Amino acid sequence: MQVDFTLLIPEFMLAGLGVLVLVVDFSVPWASRGAKNGVLAALTVLGLAMTFAVTLWMQWDTHEILYEHLIYVDRYALLFKALAMAIGAAVVLISMEYVHTRIRHAGEFYALIVFAVLGAVLMAGAAELLTAYIAIELLAFCLYVLVALSRGDSRSGEAAVKYILLGAISSAVMLFGIALIYGAIGETGFRRSELLLEAVFGPTVALGLGMFVAGLGFKLSMAPFHLWAPDVYEGAPTPVTALVSVLSKAAAFALTLRFLAEAGNATLGEWQLALAILAALTMTVGTFTALVQENIKRLLAYSSVAQVGFVLIGIIALNESGARAALLHIAGYSFTNLAAFAVVIAVEAKTGKERIADYAGLASRSPFLAMVMSAAMFSLAGLPIFAGFVTKFLLFTSAVEGGLFWLMVIAVVNSLVSLYYYLRIVREMYVGEAAETGRLRLHVAASVPVWFLFAGTVFVGVYPAPLMDAAGAAVGALAPFL
Amino acid sequence: MGLILFYAAATLTLFASFGVVATRNIVHAALFLLAALAGVAGLFVLLYAEFLALVQLLIYGGAIIIVILFALMLTRSGEYEGETETRRRPFAAVAAALLFGLMTAVFVADAEQFNTNTRQAIPFRTLAEDLFAAWAVPFEIASLVLLVALIGAVVIGRAGREEDETLPEDDGPDDAQEPVRRGSRRRAERRRRGV
Amino acid sequence: MTLLHFQLLSAAIFCIGLYGVLARRSAVLVLMSIELMLNAVNLQLVAFGAFSGFGTSTGQVIAVFVITIAAAEVGLALAIVMRLFRSRGGVNLDEIDVMRG
Repeated sequence: MQVDFTLLIPEFMLAGLGVLVLVVDFSVPWASRGAKNGVLAALTVLGLAMTFAVTLWMQWDTHEILYEHLIYVDRYALLFKALAMAIGAAVVLISMEYVHTRIRHAGEFYALIVFAVLGAVLMAGAAELLTAYIAIELLAFCLYVLVALSRGDSRSGEAAVKYILLGAISSAVMLFGIALIYGAIGETGFRRSELLLEAVFGPTVALGLGMFVAGLGFKLSMAPFHLWAPDVYEGAPTPVTALVSVLSKAAAFALTLRFLAEAGNATLGEWQLALAILAALTMTVGTFTALVQENIKRLLAYSSVAQVGFVLIGIIALNESGARAALLHIAGYSFTNLAAFAVVIAVEAKTGKERIADYAGLASRSPFLAMVMSAAMFSLAGLPIFAGFVTKFLLFTSAVEGGLFWLMVIAVVNSLVSLYYYLRIVREMYVGEAAETGRLRLHVAASVPVWFLFAGTVFVGVYPAPLMDAAGAAVGALAPFL
Repeated sequence: MGLILFYAAATLTLFASFGVVATRNIVHAALFLLAALAGVAGLFVLLYAEFLALVQLLIYGGAIIIVILFALMLTRSGEYEGETETRRRPFAAVAAALLFGLMTAVFVADAEQFNTNTRQAIPFRTLAEDLFAAWAVPFEIASLVLLVALIGAVVIGRAGREEDETLPEDDGPDDAQEPVRRGSRRRAERRRRGV
Repeated sequence: MTLLHFQLLSAAIFCIGLYGVLARRSAVLVLMSIELMLNAVNLQLVAFGAFSGFGTSTGQVIAVFVITIAAAEVGLALAIVMRLFRSRGGVNLDEIDVMRG
């Protein structure tokens, strides 16, 4: 069997980068903690940037399936690879200061981020169930460890225990689903499964698919499997929260959309309604629970849950515009959430506070941070000129196109309700009275990605065409739309 | 004959599984788990998957149970006799029973469709070839998963001061904010006191 | 014996494990119940592989990977539990629940 290993070069590079960071960490005699932190972060970011460039250059036009059924290397995977690496680099940069003051083991921290990016990359390229499961576990293990790495904060240990136990349970459920699917059709590859699933569709296949999606739903923090999110988001070190909220969701969505589009297309009628109800539940639960939150990390957790519901709409419709809208929303949401978390990290690193009331008067202490946070909030709420507006609009129209008018109505209502808690933060920042005075300045390494994320949020809102084309090309690689 | 062996192994496994979740002594629970895993290994032999049975005994019985017993020792779990919390038990029992009912219904409904009534042995050679050739990519990813678990276990499991904290502290973050400076002074004091 | 025997046994073990996960309060016991659930999955996989007539080794291959990942997960989970024990003094999931909800 001839295998073209050059197609896996990005994955090899990422794995090598992770190991390199670890080796450099323990073999170089460091002069001080600051030097170690700086050099390792620089190494990680440079490595990710290089891999990013190499991936885009090598795989721009590739459409292959390796080993006949294990991994896809195509436009769809490429989009998510680029997204994952960019997210990884951004998180490393915005967390440098936080790592210096609040995290032991800087080397392991950065190396695990690289391995997490690798896990996400593999999830986006997975072409069958076993590879998907192992990639999910790779990403998950990295996140479990990262959540527990905080120095001195006992909430991070509690968050890590909850995360790993609930994660292991969901893995077990997902595996049971995989076992049933395999047992029914004897095949685990997505494309090969599609017609087989339709042919033998019955109680066993339905249960198998249901359990598999339930396991995935945990990773997506879809209701009713979202209960781990607020505690884990709150207890984890904030850069890790950012990573969990953006990277693991993007990767899980990549996998879910791929699986449902390629393996579930023929059986669409069976699962569409069930998933639509879950999406509606997710949006509603996320939105309404966010209304009463006082801690900004928990608020962002529930807001993420609501956003998941929105993206699911695009996936459920399973038409070309729906899939494209879902990808766009994921990309926009990634920028936006990272920008919001960058502000949270900066505020927490300087003041150690994370309640919404503590953001009062932020505009007077740091106009830049307040501006970035406002842009992020407006975008998440779906207000015009920001990315969120465009992507939500496309999602809603695709829902109508797919015949799910009622779902669109629920989404619009939830969007309107969410305005309250997003705008509440903006109001606190600009109208509230600051408890302390003195400027809050962003760490120099963090300001680069934050500017970029802020610009991205506005750019996609004003001129979405390039990103829409990229998403369209990505969706074109999926089997039903080839 | 085969059926008798099946029922023997199945009874052992079921009884041991109940023991894991029902016993009040947590060390007994670990031993029940060992018995349950051994029962499953026996069932693998009945399914002509001898290699898997061997792996099951070696890894689960030889490694995982040992690690669990160590963890029980280090978290002093043996001192606490079971739990007094009984609020959740009815709800859990109902949930588990419902799921079992659902699965039984599903499996019985499809019993004819997926069953060929003959057990087929997969040659060991085929398993080995497939594992390293056809499934090479998951195999390599699994090695990375193990690496991450190893790093994580070492980094999280260690207590006390590590090399990271004995490096000289440099100037710290860029701007001079009162709270941060006070905080780092407090941290330096704590470190000197050896906390 | 038929496939159904093994399937029902596997379902029983899975559900017993689920009961353990929901009802028991010690983190280590929850972990042991998760191991039961994973064993039930392996039993399904190998049983399907033997009875279904596909002739491929896929079922057993997946089972091997499940055992591998489960072992790694147990090691990591116990390290995290021990860290929690050091910072909170106990591993009872009700007692450590400081964060609301």
